Amino acid sequence: MKTRPVKAAALAAVVAFALVIPAGSQVPPPPPAGPPPPPIVRVFLDWPGGDIEFFKAEIPFVEFVPGQEEAQVRVVIAPQGPPGAGPITISFFGLKEFEGENNTLTYSSAPGDKPEDVRRGIAGLVKLGLLRYAGKTPAAKDLSVRFLDQAKPTSVVDKYDFWVFSLSANAFLMGETQFEEGMYYGSFSANRVTPELKVRTSVSGNFSKSKFDFGEGEVYESRSHGYGFSGLVVKSLGEHWSAGAFLSAQSSTYSNLKLSLTAAPAVEFDLFPYSESTKRQLRILYRLGFTRARYNEETIYFKTSESLLQGALSCAYEVVRPWGRASLTLEGSHYFHDFAKNRLELEASVEFRVWRGLSFEIDGGYARIRDQIALSAGGATYEEILLRQRELSTGYSYSFSVGLNFSFGSTRSNVVNPRFGNGGRSISISM
Amino acid sequence: MRKPLASTACLVLSLILGLSVAARPLPAQEGQAGIDELKKTALRVFLDCDYCDIEYIKTEITFVNYVRDRLEAQVHVLITTQATGGGGREYTLAFIGQNDCRDLADTQKYFSSKTDTEDDVRRGLVKALKLGLMSYVGRTPIACRIAVDYTRPDAAGPGRDRWDSWVFSLSGSGYFSGQATYMSRMVDASFSANRVTPASKLRFGFSVDSSKRRYEIEEEVITGTRSSWDASGLFVKSLGEHWSAGVFVEAESSLYSNVDLGLSAAPAVEYNVFPYSQSTRRQLRLLYTLAVKPVKYREETVYAKTRETLFQESLAATLDLREKWGTVSVSAEGSHYFHDFSKNRLDVFGIVNLRLYKGLSVFVLYGRSWIRDQLALLGREPTFEEQILRLRELPMNSNYFISVGFQFTFGSIFTNVINPRFGSSGGGGMGIHID
Repeated sequence: MKTRPVKAAALAAVVAFALVIPAGSQVPPPPPAGPPPPPIVRVFLDWPGGDIEFFKAEIPFVEFVPGQEEAQVRVVIAPQGPPGAGPITISFFGLKEFEGENNTLTYSSAPGDKPEDVRRGIAGLVKLGLLRYAGKTPAAKDLSVRFLDQAKPTSVVDKYDFWVFSLSANAFLMGETQFEEGMYYGSFSANRVTPELKVRTSVSGNFSKSKFDFGEGEVYESRSHGYGFSGLVVKSLGEHWSAGAFLSAQSSTYSNLKLSLTAAPAVEFDLFPYSESTKRQLRILYRLGFTRARYNEETIYFKTSESLLQGALSCAYEVVRPWGRASLTLEGSHYFHDFAKNRLELEASVEFRVWRGLSFEIDGGYARIRDQIALSAGGATYEEILLRQRELSTGYSYSFSVGLNFSFGSTRSNVVNPRFGNGGRSISISM
Repeated sequence: MRKPLASTACLVLSLILGLSVAARPLPAQEGQAGIDELKKTALRVFLDCDYCDIEYIKTEITFVNYVRDRLEAQVHVLITTQATGGGGREYTLAFIGQNDCRDLADTQKYFSSKTDTEDDVRRGLVKALKLGLMSYVGRTPIACRIAVDYTRPDAAGPGRDRWDSWVFSLSGSGYFSGQATYMSRMVDASFSANRVTPASKLRFGFSVDSSKRRYEIEEEVITGTRSSWDASGLFVKSLGEHWSAGVFVEAESSLYSNVDLGLSAAPAVEYNVFPYSQSTRRQLRLLYTLAVKPVKYREETVYAKTRETLFQESLAATLDLREKWGTVSVSAEGSHYFHDFSKNRLDVFGIVNLRLYKGLSVFVLYGRSWIRDQLALLGREPTFEEQILRLRELPMNSNYFISVGFQFTFGSIFTNVINPRFGSSGGGGMGIHID
């Protein structure tokens, strides 16, 4: 039987293997002698009297062949009416491996079009129609499709004026002989997002309970709930500035809040234009929050309700590039009635590809906490602490994770083999 | 005047603008108003992908209109993924024509590699999406404003694969979190070597993980620890489009399960009702396994054993469907030991997510296990901390979970707009992703 030394030896062998192999894999493989030209789609253009040479020049990503026998696609161009007038039908017929992949496009010339305009227009549609076949050949990586203009995303006919309403409800129950848990969640949202104005509102509620049976009649049950409203209105002020307000109403047993109402006007500056947001952003947001809070239990500061004014400044940097992605968020806040009641949070995340096959990711966060004004004076029970059902007094919190991934070997392993499953099923649900 | 139904192209535009002469390409002076008119008749697309960077796609592909309901769309793009032998993913983009494009369907593929970054993957997907959409865009007037660029590749063709399809991967990760009275630490490491070809599949893997939680309650310190390691291998031979045969081998150790060393060798045979080549969209697999398992326990079990050799057989059935109306994944697995047929278990699992009607979708998630084969249970009573922190397997007859939910969305069907101001939170909607 195998024992621990075997495992240690295996691990050592794995590490040694990992160290030896990459040195070798850095050497590029010698190019094989006389490589065949990359296969591109062979097209038979069936257009009696058509100018084939023009098409060859306009559409370089396929090879035009003279007969149907060697072609993979047959393109038939025929006028619907008498020659020189009316729309022209362009039919695509897939042959051989593209059998069954057919399409029909129609070109309509406008009165007064010159013959070369018509020819160029037809070639443009033939080009688009052939892309589906080219996408299935190695030539796909050398093709790019561009839209020549900028169109407004709101140029649509929309009778709801961009309002979207959504109602959802979920329940989750689980149990085993000695443990049971139930969670219920419901929400309604109404959103309207246009480039000029963003409006998001939602009401939601949740309830959960869990039950432990320790045997001999000893049962521990716990319940918690939360509900709230949140709203956001943002007005766009050019490519770099925005102004708006956050609104919220919240109740939570975890945070000892019976009801907390907040209104927070805010202003944001993005160092980069907002239109580049999927590639990079550096956003600085200042918000001033007015809060009226009522507590479930008297707090450690002997309050059952109070009014608060809080200032918060946050700075978020995000970048997504071919080498990976990075994000960094720094946020500081304080209450105006006592500047010593403050909090500073830093969060960072980096995914970086060091070299082909080697990548690492780091996520981390640290918070310096001096503003737990809602803590209950009564404290929490032993079970509430272990099950993390109550906010506890702390001066800091942190989390940090690091991952390293190194792969080497065949680069032509695009094979999918679903037999016996793909190493376990994972199911993720996002809401 | 004759007005053709499809693709009146810039003609429509010229009529709207009242111009006497229209030509392709669009003259620059017609300007922004002309483009916005073209956009109103642009292709309506329903993008059905739970794990794509949707915002990026919408900022890169602006010559179509995105709608939030599949029935409104002229093309439903259903994107499914499967793992490839190299640890990357195969993205299958099924273009399903609807309404006036019902006659047109296509499939494009994009392959990512394991170490591709998020940006590599989203750019690759956008390219495949653009190529596939062009057959449909060609039917809309905006087609006259699309350009296609082609850079002639260098002569070098693909070389020989000197790794013979073997792919090796080494990974490790750690997670640490805490505050004044609580600390948690988890670390794991794994190594894998795989060779996947259409004819056979070989997988070897080794992984270790360990976790620790520490609580401080009124001067008292409570710590909970879990640790385990696992080594496994799989060989599968393909026998046509419906049958496969192979063998699983495994060695494992787990504190939670009270197993010091458990070995297993299990020949198996599988039948797929659908051809394996359709696996990204539909599978109904039946797997029969016969296992021999020598086990050594950490502590004496409730059956007063410290080691034993077990023979077990099991049968599993899995149905996975990913269609334009939703997702269905249902599985059932039953097994028993040969030395005592009453030592058996049955697990069922199902998830169904349906897009029932315009804007309405429902889901049900259900799992239930009937367990009568806990041979490794501790002989002694677990401590209070072991129970509440779930550090040890506890005796049970059954466990279950169920989740149901619905979502109803109405209002504007268009989802073209990206507005990143004050952060992009909660796009709404629900996605279920099965790998």
